[in-house]
Amino acid sequence: MNTEQQIQSFRDTYAALRAEVGKVIVGNTEIVDGTLIAMLAGGHVLLEGVPGLGKTLLVRTLSQVLHLTFNRIQFTPDLMPADILGTNIVMEVPGGGREFRFQKGPIFAHLLLADEINRATPKTQSALLEAMQEHSVTAGGEIRKLEEPFFVLATQNPIDQEGTYPLPEAQLDRFFFKLIVGYPTNADLNEVLTRTTENRKVEINTVVNREQMIELQHLVRQVPVASHVRDYAVRLVLATHPKTETAAPIANQYLRFGSSPRGAQSMLLAAKVRALTQGRFNASFEDIQAVVLPTLRHRCILNFEAEAEDVTTDLVIAQILRDVPRDAVEVAA
Amino acid sequence: MSELNIIVSTLAKTAARRRLERGFRRLWQGLFIGASAWLLFLAAYKLAPIPVEFVLYSWLLIPLAALIGFIWGYSRPMSVDETARWVDSKVKLQERVSTALEVARDERAAEWKNLIVSDAAKSVSALKPKDLLPFTLPKASRWALVILILGVGLGFVPEYRSKASQQARQDKEAIQQTGRELAKLTKRNLQARPPAIETTKKSLLEMEELGNHLAKAQLTRGEALKELSSLTEKLKEQTRELAKDPAIRNLERASRNGSKSGTPSAEMQQKLDNMAKQLGAQAANSEAMEKMKQDLQKAKDMAANLPKGDSPEAKQAQDQMKASLADLQKQAKDLGLDLPSLSEAIAAMQQAQPDQVLKDLQVAEVELEKMEQMAKALEKMQLDMQKLGKDLAEQLKNGQAEAAESTLRKMAQAAKNAQTSPEQMEKMMKEVSEALDAAKQYGEVGEQMKQAMKNMQAGKKGEAGENLQNAANELSKMMGELGDAQSLLASLESLQQAAMCLANGQGFGEGMGGKGAGQGRKTGKSQSGVGTWADENSWEYPEMVDSWDNTGIERPDIDGKGVSDKGDGQLADNLAPTKIKGQLTPGGPMPSITMKGVSIKGTSKVQVEEMAAAAQSDAQAALNQDQVPRAYQNAVRNYFDDLKE
Repeated sequence: MNTEQQIQSFRDTYAALRAEVGKVIVGNTEIVDGTLIAMLAGGHVLLEGVPGLGKTLLVRTLSQVLHLTFNRIQFTPDLMPADILGTNIVMEVPGGGREFRFQKGPIFAHLLLADEINRATPKTQSALLEAMQEHSVTAGGEIRKLEEPFFVLATQNPIDQEGTYPLPEAQLDRFFFKLIVGYPTNADLNEVLTRTTENRKVEINTVVNREQMIELQHLVRQVPVASHVRDYAVRLVLATHPKTETAAPIANQYLRFGSSPRGAQSMLLAAKVRALTQGRFNASFEDIQAVVLPTLRHRCILNFEAEAEDVTTDLVIAQILRDVPRDAVEVAA
Repeated sequence: MSELNIIVSTLAKTAARRRLERGFRRLWQGLFIGASAWLLFLAAYKLAPIPVEFVLYSWLLIPLAALIGFIWGYSRPMSVDETARWVDSKVKLQERVSTALEVARDERAAEWKNLIVSDAAKSVSALKPKDLLPFTLPKASRWALVILILGVGLGFVPEYRSKASQQARQDKEAIQQTGRELAKLTKRNLQARPPAIETTKKSLLEMEELGNHLAKAQLTRGEALKELSSLTEKLKEQTRELAKDPAIRNLERASRNGSKSGTPSAEMQQKLDNMAKQLGAQAANSEAMEKMKQDLQKAKDMAANLPKGDSPEAKQAQDQMKASLADLQKQAKDLGLDLPSLSEAIAAMQQAQPDQVLKDLQVAEVELEKMEQMAKALEKMQLDMQKLGKDLAEQLKNGQAEAAESTLRKMAQAAKNAQTSPEQMEKMMKEVSEALDAAKQYGEVGEQMKQAMKNMQAGKKGEAGENLQNAANELSKMMGELGDAQSLLASLESLQQAAMCLANGQGFGEGMGGKGAGQGRKTGKSQSGVGTWADENSWEYPEMVDSWDNTGIERPDIDGKGVSDKGDGQLADNLAPTKIKGQLTPGGPMPSITMKGVSIKGTSKVQVEEMAAAAQSDAQAALNQDQVPRAYQNAVRNYFDDLKE
C-alpha cells in the first residue's frame, strides 16, 4: 500500500471508529475526537468530569471497537502498586518444588482504564510513571516490556475531593491530553435517555486491530510540518514559561510553571493526526490551535494569585493564543 | 510546466504585485504623515512666532513623505517563501503552499512531497494576483484628504501673535529696511562722488557693509543700534581728525561765510545769458510777472462768468473783457514775453467764443507760471553772480574755492605762456599779491602763491606758473578733503537718522519718506478703524496705540472707511503736499526731544510781532550759515515764514 492509500485508509478507519463509538456515546464529539487523536498519536488521556457523564463508558466502548486487550483498575486509597503492576508469588511447580513466578498485574493490557485515578495514593499513582513513559514495568528486579500499543485512559472526578490525592506534576505531564468532559446538551441527553431506558441492543464492531493501530501511529509521524508551523508550537510552549524572555504577560502573572517539552511534542503529534483526519497532508496553524488546550492545560501550573482569582489554565492558554502571533515574520502586510 | 513550477511562478507574480501594492499603500501613508507634519507646522506657525519660511517650505514634506513612503514600500524585496506564507494566510490555505515549498526542497520523503505539492498546486492554480491585491485607496488616503482640508481651512485663520513678537517682527523688518536703505544710499554717494581720501573711502565702504549686514543678519534692535552707534562714533572721530587740519577748517569757514556758489563766473555768465535770451529782455522782473499773473487770473474769472446773449449788460461785460485782454497783451509785450495763447484768446473773444477764451487763458496761465519760475531762477543766479568774487583775492576771501582754483589755473597757464606781455604779468602779480593775505589761511596754497610771487618778481615765469599750478592743485586737493568731510558729515547724519528711526521702531526707508502724508501710517496695525483719522503720531508712543485705536469697532451710522487707496500714480503738481503740520519732511520721521526748561514769570516787554521778527531773523541767519541740516531747511523756512502771517 502506498502512502496515498495509507492516508486514505487512515481516514476511513478514523471515520469507522467515530461511527462505532457514536453508536454508544451520544454527543461529546470533542472528547471522542480528542481521545482518538491521542490514541492515534500513541498518547495517554486523562478524562476529567463529574460522575455519570460517560467517561468510563467511552473507554469501554473504545476497548470494544479496538481489537485490543483491555483492563480496568478502580483506583482506591488502599490500592497498592503491586495491585497494578503485578508481583512475584510462590508457585508450586510440577515435581513438588516451589518457585517465584511473576504474576502480571492489570497493567499488562493494550488499553488500561484507570478509573478515578486521583483516589489512589501518590505512591500507587507513581506506579504508572514508568509504564506510561517507557511502556515497561520493573518488578522483582526485572524489566518487563508492555505489549504495544499501550494506552492509559484515566478518569478523575473534579468534585468530591475528600480523600483524593491530586496527581503529581510528573504524572500529569505523561498524559498526552487532558480532556474535560462537560454536561450533555438537551438533544444529547434526550438521546442518552432513549438509548439507555429501552431494550435496545447495540452491536459494536471491531474496527482496528493491534497491528493496524501500530501502522496508523507510524503514518501519523510521517506527516510533514512546515518549519514556521513547528516554530509556532514552540513559541506557544515558550510563552507559558513564566519569568523568561519569551513568556507571555499573562503567564508571568498567573503561572508558576509552564509546559515541558512533552507539551510541544504532544501538540505537534496531535496536530499531525488532526491534519490527516481533516483530509490534509500537512499540519497547519489551525491544527496547532485546535489541540493547544488539551495538550497544555494540565502541564501549566497556576500560582497562588491565579488560584485566588479563580483563573483557570484554560483562560491563561486562551490569552497566550491571542498574544502569540501565528507567524514570527510579519506577512500580513 | 511542473506543479512546483506553477506554484513558484504564481508566487513570483504575487510577490511582484505585493511589492507594488505595498509601495502604493506606503505612498498614501507617507502622504498622510507628510500632511500631518505640514498641518502641525501650520498650526505652530499660527500659534507661535516661527518664521514664515517654515510654513512656505513645510508643504514640501507632503510629496517628499509620499515619495519616501513609496520607495520604502517598494524597495523591500519579497521572497517566494514569504509570499507563500502570505498567500496561505490570505486565502486560508492552511499552510499548504508554504509546506509544499519546504517539503519540495527535502529529498527524504518523495511520496509525501508529491502529494503535498500536488495538493498545493491545485489550490494555487486558481489564484490571480490582481484579485488578491486590488489597488484600492487605503484608509490613510481619506485621512490625508481630511488633513489637507483642515490645513487649507487653517490657512484662513489669522495668526496669533503677542505684542512682543509683533514688536520683534517690526523691529526686524525695520532693521532690514534700514540696512538696505543705508547700503543703497552709501553706494549711490560713493558712485556720485568718489572720496578723495582713502580712509574716507574705507569708512564709507564700511558703512555700506554695515547696511548689507543689517539687511541680512538677524539682529535685535539693541544690537543694530549698537552697531550703528559704533560706526557713528568712528565716523565722528574721523570727521574730527579731518577738522583738525586748519587749512580745511579755514576753507570750510570761508565757504560757510561766503557765497555758496563756487562756479566760475564765466560759466555762470553763460548760463545767465542763455536764460535771459529765453525770457526776453525785461522778463527778469518777477514782480511784474506776478502782477500780470494776477491780472490773467482776474481775466480768467471774468471769462468764466461772462454772460451770454446780446443784452446791454452782456455787451458791457464783453467790452470789459476785451479791454482786459488788450491790457494783458500790452503787459506781455512790455515784458518781452511771447504768449501765443493770449493772442488766440483775443481772437476767440473777437469771434464771441467765451469757452475757447477760457481755455486759451488757462494755457496762457500755465505758460506764464513757467516763465515766472524761470525768472525767479534768473534772479537768483544774478544774485549769486553779484556775490561771486571779482578777483582771486575776493574769491579766496569768500571761500569760493572752485572759482579761485579756476583763476589760479588760468594764471598758471598765462604765466607759462611766453606770449604773455609784461603788462599782463604786472597785472597778474598785482592780483596775486593782493590775494596773498587771503591765501594765508589756506596753508600750502598761500606758500605756493608767495613763491609764485617771488618767481614772478624775479622774472621766472615758468617757475611762477608751476607754483600757481601747484597752488591750484593744492586747492583742488583741499576741496576734495572738504568734500570728504562733507560726505562724512552727510553719512553721519544718515547714520544718526537711521539710529533714530530704529529707536522709534521705524525703518530708515519709511523715514526717508516712502508713503504720502496724511494716510495714517501705523507701525503696529495696518488697518484703520471707523473714520479716516490719520494715526500720524503712533510711532511716538506705540504703547498708547490701543487707547485711541478704534479698529474693529462697528458703528451703525458710520462705516469704517479704511485707508484710502490713492494708487501709485503721481499727484498733480498743484496737489503735491508742500507743508505737513507736525512733519518736517513729508513722510519722514519727526524727531522729538523732551527738554526741561524753567518757566519765565512776569510780563513780556516786547510785542509779539517784534519777537516773531527777531526769531525769523535768527532763523534766516541759521539757514544762511548752514546750521540747519539740509533736509530740514525747507521746513524751518516755511515755519518762520508762517510767523509773518
